[in-house]
Amino acid sequence: MNRTNELTLLPKLPLLITESPDEFDAVWDAFEREIKPRGIIEQMYVHDISSIVWEILRLRRCKVVIINSAFRSALEHLLVQLLKGPGQYGYEVGDEAQTLAHAWFIDQEAKKQVSEILSRFDLDESAIEAEAIRRSSADLELLDRMLTSLESRRNKALACVAEYRASLAHQLRESADRIIGGKGILRLEDAASERSTAA
Amino acid sequence: MASERQIAANRRNARKSTGPRSAAGKKRASRNAYRHGLTLSVASTKASAKQLDKLVRRIAGDTEDAIVLERARAIAQAELDLARVRRAKVALIECASAFGELDPRSLTTVTRVIRFLNAFYPGRVALPKPLDSSATMPSQEPDRSAEAIRRLLPELRKLERYERRAAARRDRAIFNR
Repeated sequence: MNRTNELTLLPKLPLLITESPDEFDAVWDAFEREIKPRGIIEQMYVHDISSIVWEILRLRRCKVVIINSAFRSALEHLLVQLLKGPGQYGYEVGDEAQTLAHAWFIDQEAKKQVSEILSRFDLDESAIEAEAIRRSSADLELLDRMLTSLESRRNKALACVAEYRASLAHQLRESADRIIGGKGILRLEDAASERSTAA
Repeated sequence: MASERQIAANRRNARKSTGPRSAAGKKRASRNAYRHGLTLSVASTKASAKQLDKLVRRIAGDTEDAIVLERARAIAQAELDLARVRRAKVALIECASAFGELDPRSLTTVTRVIRFLNAFYPGRVALPKPLDSSATMPSQEPDRSAEAIRRLLPELRKLERYERRAAARRDRAIFNR
């Protein structure tokens, strides 16, 4: 979509090197199509909403990666707990757990072996995910707070567009009333009544 | 409570330290409270002042009404502040993505202890190699950017507050609250 002159004045949203400007433009276009901004203020809000949504998407992607990257250490920790026999220390099975956790990502046989160990304790692979989430809970909590804050700002910006439109409509109505109730209109009406009396 | 003698001693001591005397020291001290520059006016550089004026004109239209112009200026200023915080956010993430962290960790204390021990037991304790934070970063995207964001979460949250304030200032100016 071609941007109007007004938008070239608005500062562009800086993107990360790895982010695609075309994808951001697609998000922006989608909001422009939905909101159909009129005037620079509404365009400012649409740009703001698109930027916030873009950041929300960025943080959501990050959330998934944070959990995924905690998988290996989560699995290793879990295996140490499960492999450890009574009276045994964690470090005694540490090497085995480490090797198995590493192999789980690349070797089907190791995956099967881990599943067997987990099933011995009535667990399945969701236990690994749960442990990964637990291990990254501090980061995830911060991310969630940021996401909540961004979502509330997005909703506020959407409400602002509606409020701005309503206030603009109110102003236009008032101006129209003033014009109708003003002298210019009266003169026209007077002229019309004069014409009818003359006839 | 401090006694008369203590108060007099404090005053005498305070007179001895009157801040930096050299030009370089004064210059350095003038930036003591400077953290990120995000509260600085957007009109602080010539280019940004020009951009601000253009945006003000676009918002206010042809009017010469001082009140309308002032409101338009407040809106434009907040909008440009918002853009500045967003630029800062992206720059921080890019920086952390490239180097693994913003400020390299200082090993001063550890180094000092090791030097002290080496004075008594020469060559027994080796100085640690400087930590390379970028080595602990994932090598591929999008994991690398995500890890950079994870490492920067506290800073990003602070910037988020600035962003929210700038947006609130803009909304107040638009709706004249």
